[in-house]
Amino acid sequence: MKENAASRVLFILLLFLYASLLNGQSPPEKPKLIKCRSPGKETFTCWWEPGADGGLPTNYTLTYHKEGETLIHECPDYKTGGPNSCYFSKKYTSIWKMYVITVSAINQMGISSSDPLYVDVTYIVEPEPPMNLTLELKHPEDRKPYLWIKWSPPTLTDVKSGWFSIQYEIRLKPEKATDWETHFAPKLTQLKIFNLYPGQKYLVQIRCKPDHGYWSEWSPESSIQIPNDFPVKDTSMWIFVGVLSAVICLIMVWAVALKGYSMVTCILPPVPGPKIKGFDIHLLEKGKSEELLRALESQDFLPTSDCEDLLMEFIEVDDSEDQHLMPHPSKEHMEQGVKPMHLDPDTDSGRGSCDSPSLLSEKCDEPQAYPSKFHIPEGPEKLENPETNLTCLQAPQSTNGEGKIPYFLANGPKSSTWPFPQPPSLYSPRYSYHNIADVCELALGMAGTTAILLDQTDQHAFTPSKTIETGGEGKAAKQRESEAYSSEPDQDMAWPLLQDKTPLFSAKPLEYVEIHKVSQDGVLALFPKQNEKVDAPETSKEYSKVSRMTDSNILVLIPDLQAQNLTLLEESAKKAPPALP
Amino acid sequence: MSNLLLCQGNFCTFLCPHGDDLCLNSLKDLFNRATNLSQDIYNLSSKMFKEFDKRYAQGKGYITMALNSCHTSSLPTPEDKEQAQQTHHEVLMSLILGLLRSWNDPLYHLVTEVRGMKGVPDAILSRAIEIEEENKRLLEGMEMIFGQVIPGAKETEPYPVWSGLPSLQTKDEEARHSAFYNLLHCLRRDSSKIDTYLKLLNCRIIYNNNC
Repeated sequence: MKENAASRVLFILLLFLYASLLNGQSPPEKPKLIKCRSPGKETFTCWWEPGADGGLPTNYTLTYHKEGETLIHECPDYKTGGPNSCYFSKKYTSIWKMYVITVSAINQMGISSSDPLYVDVTYIVEPEPPMNLTLELKHPEDRKPYLWIKWSPPTLTDVKSGWFSIQYEIRLKPEKATDWETHFAPKLTQLKIFNLYPGQKYLVQIRCKPDHGYWSEWSPESSIQIPNDFPVKDTSMWIFVGVLSAVICLIMVWAVALKGYSMVTCILPPVPGPKIKGFDIHLLEKGKSEELLRALESQDFLPTSDCEDLLMEFIEVDDSEDQHLMPHPSKEHMEQGVKPMHLDPDTDSGRGSCDSPSLLSEKCDEPQAYPSKFHIPEGPEKLENPETNLTCLQAPQSTNGEGKIPYFLANGPKSSTWPFPQPPSLYSPRYSYHNIADVCELALGMAGTTAILLDQTDQHAFTPSKTIETGGEGKAAKQRESEAYSSEPDQDMAWPLLQDKTPLFSAKPLEYVEIHKVSQDGVLALFPKQNEKVDAPETSKEYSKVSRMTDSNILVLIPDLQAQNLTLLEESAKKAPPALP
Repeated sequence: MSNLLLCQGNFCTFLCPHGDDLCLNSLKDLFNRATNLSQDIYNLSSKMFKEFDKRYAQGKGYITMALNSCHTSSLPTPEDKEQAQQTHHEVLMSLILGLLRSWNDPLYHLVTEVRGMKGVPDAILSRAIEIEEENKRLLEGMEMIFGQVIPGAKETEPYPVWSGLPSLQTKDEEARHSAFYNLLHCLRRDSSKIDTYLKLLNCRIIYNNNC
């Protein structure tokens, strides 16, 4: 009997099992945790997905434990979050702590547990969409019209205290368009939209994102109708600007068309072509260089006879029987001959190219004469103060091989004509030359008794030597300069300097010229010096005309070509000195 | 700008005692820059962690090992809003400073060791370098703010020391990757803490809880 009962129970159980298997009942499938989200970093909710329930009523339980704790808790709230959810209120929420969450499904047949989910609330923040989206069309005076969009932060977010930081994003489009226009609003809860098309209905949406977390959903669409007469842009101003610029362009085009050429020449002046007198381009084209050069020569280009005009003229003290100052190109008096140099009063440095020793030596007919400049200082104020700050500087051998070019260094105002009350001084028909060395010697006197009064207001007389170069003397000038400086300290040295040199013309008596005084306008009074050695009556004198004054206060003398005044001047010279200013 | 009054309970102090605009403006500027830096550091560390996770940690379960592994867990940091709001700004600031200081050394080694990893994506290495740089700058800024908000503050408190270098250098690749995962996970968390605390302080001090 008992055996029968046991077997019967077993049989029934097996039957049940069989029956249930036939019915499809089984323990529940493993549930699956979908996600957990926190709307404001203060609470969070988790959702799961149930598996097959095995045909039987199944219960789900969510259990968790926190990082660093061993105690296991069950979900505090299954309802607030909806079905298959668990809501963790503030009390149960910790930030920066890992939650290990598991969901279990239990039914009559068995239990199934999900895989654990590791959740840190910090990283699961997803806010609600922003609220209270309002759209307003604004059209202030004197300013562009716009659409004013306003909203408020989503619920459950504490922005004021700084616990929650949000960024916003707005998108809008005309109703029928396909593409949205998105705008970013980092913190403020309003936005102004310009440049809307009138007559359109616009749809606007907004969403937000926390500083650490996910974007919210888009808010429901808000719409606004832009009226047809809505002034979109301030076009009137642009129309005006456009018309004005078009007018200006037209005017410019017209001006260019009319006066194109002259404007172009005004802006870009043409490069001047070479204009050389006597230069025949045709000859050049033909390639006949010889003819070309001849043509050039025939012009007054090359200093041939003109060279003489360019060259300075000098006063030559002649030792001839006449025993008067005669312009005399006598070479026997000269060591090295004299180069006639004539300087026009209005000459400029360009023409002074003939002054340059090299040019003269090459081009001029004169034999190895060298240019000498007779510089006479001017300093009328010092007339009463006849300090003989004269320095006769013997120029050293110039590199041009010109020989010595003594200088008087002077300073003073610009040159004027030769200082005689009468019209500029006479001269002899012949050019008068004067070897400066001779002059120096004349002036300074071999016996040292001459007294050429030179006014030298200051030591700067030496400095003009620098500017000798302006005359185009080049190296020669520099050498002179060096000599000048070397002899500067002691002017008396100048004397022996000269005296050391062999007298230029030793045997012949010379007539000395005395510079008596210098007037205010730079008029130099040269006076023949009565020298006891020179047994000569006063005779006609040669006078030089101061042709110009260089920048360095160097006086350039030329003989005056008025012979008829010679005698007059002679006489007046005698009387003149006291009368001279 | 009116003077900043900082109240904790019934105890209020003036932040800029002399009330000069320079002090107030400079403090506002300092906070602004500090929050920008902290936000940037968080963004970088978050991306770096995700990149590493995607590349080296899929299906490995490193997360289980990462629980309770942060060297800064000994610092008593507030863990929800109420706690944070009840923490005095002085305490909050020193916590921030402690966190920043304690990360100087690990960041330096992180850069060195990441460089040595085979096939490390540039995204990870470049971010590590940048984070190290910005951490230093933020520390400087915080020290300045600290000096201004709490004049006469006492000398620096001890901060937690990191000792995870051997695990970063181990030969076992799995163990090494796990160690990196831990470090990056902790970095992300601490940079988020620093960022949140700074923003709390900013709104509390500069804007008087009205951000």
